[in-house]
Amino acid sequence: MAHYIELTPFDLFLAVGLIIIAAAISVALKLGITRSLFMASARCMLQLGAMGLILKKIFQINTPLLVLGWLMIMLVFAGREAVRRSKTKYKGINLDALATMTVSSLVAGGLVTQMVIKVSPWYDPQYLIPIFGMVFGNSLNGICLCLDRLTEYVRSRGREIELMLAFGATRSEAMRRGARQAVRTGMIPIINNMTVAGIVSLPGMMTGQIVAGASPMQAVAYQIVIMFMIAAANALGSMSIATLAGRRLVSNYGLQLPEHKK
Amino acid sequence: MADFECGPINYKTREGLHILQGIHLRLSSPAMVVINGPSGCGKSTLLRAITGLNNAEVALRRLDQERFDERTLSAWRAKVTLLLQDAPCLEGSVLENLTFPFDFKNSGGRMCSETSISNRLGEVDLGHIPLDADVRRLSGGERHRLGIVRGLLWGPKVLIADEPLSGLEPELADKCFHVLMDYARMENAIVICVLHEERFAGKADQWLKLENGTLHRINPL
Repeated sequence: MAHYIELTPFDLFLAVGLIIIAAAISVALKLGITRSLFMASARCMLQLGAMGLILKKIFQINTPLLVLGWLMIMLVFAGREAVRRSKTKYKGINLDALATMTVSSLVAGGLVTQMVIKVSPWYDPQYLIPIFGMVFGNSLNGICLCLDRLTEYVRSRGREIELMLAFGATRSEAMRRGARQAVRTGMIPIINNMTVAGIVSLPGMMTGQIVAGASPMQAVAYQIVIMFMIAAANALGSMSIATLAGRRLVSNYGLQLPEHKK
Repeated sequence: MADFECGPINYKTREGLHILQGIHLRLSSPAMVVINGPSGCGKSTLLRAITGLNNAEVALRRLDQERFDERTLSAWRAKVTLLLQDAPCLEGSVLENLTFPFDFKNSGGRMCSETSISNRLGEVDLGHIPLDADVRRLSGGERHRLGIVRGLLWGPKVLIADEPLSGLEPELADKCFHVLMDYARMENAIVICVLHEERFAGKADQWLKLENGTLHRINPL
């Protein structure tokens, strides 16, 4: 194992100083976000701390059931978050989001951990948990964007969809333009990320690996695999959520407009 | 020859208002049918119910020997086509707006030639509009006529139109009405129009009035 400088509780205490700088600016400029800044930092510390403890336990016990169970919990939270963040909701959105997250991340994450990295044993939490975490986080984003674009399309161009239906279009034919736009929207962030990777920013995972002492070329290799995995997960996720949501928004009897978020 | 049957149709609003009460339509081609009635009586709801664009209860939808159910509604709509109220258009050119349905799975190999496009456009005084013009540049009246041409080119056995003449100058409205009437005659089709103007209703083969949820025959008695 390569060497890195271990952080002590005192180092973390020093880091709190950085938040104080941000808070001081907030107070000086009367931004009115001092409270939420402190709350957010506190939550960040607590949540990550709890996560650290849980991961430590999972790494110790190291059984497939526990790892899978933890992945399931992450999956459910990611699905709920995707729905919470999207501006419009319709009946059945929770199920659609969960199904989409499951399929897209299972395919992309499964391929990467089992076929590319060939994790051994197959459930090794050191790899599975961070890698699936990244797939979940990114698909969540893609799904949200895709859903918003799709419902927005149905809302603003419902008359065109009806026109096509009235001339005998099937549901998928009537939604084709909208679904295409939505999937494209869902995939834009990862395309942008891949485009500027290494020029504008060093991706977080790569940074972490380099700090932890991995060789830069290995860190790059991992990063490339991860980005491609995210691209695949986003494409799969956007496509399936667009299909599932499209079926709910356009029934055999025409448009079923979603309600605005209260 | 087309034999069309639809009904009984029942439609209740969420508030429990019984807007369409057991309406049953049976028509044979050629036929030009005009439906009118007081505003808000459910004329558009009726047309949407026939074409399956709302959740009205419709016991039977039949064209010639073929019956259609919920799963085959899109095929039904390819044959029993509604020209929606206010003549919506797709974003794009005039040509795209006239030809998009021919790419649908349900088009059943229908085609439309450039000659027929320009002939039909000429019939409703749209001959001067270039096919590559953006539809957003058309006026309201031009869009209505474009909607009619779209329906005629598509050539369904039953063409249903929801106020296709609204916003047209009297002279143009006359012209368009006769184009629709000729379509019923020449193509041996059925045309059902919701129209406000009684002067047209009198010229149609059948004049039906929608009132209190049922259709009454005005002409011929």
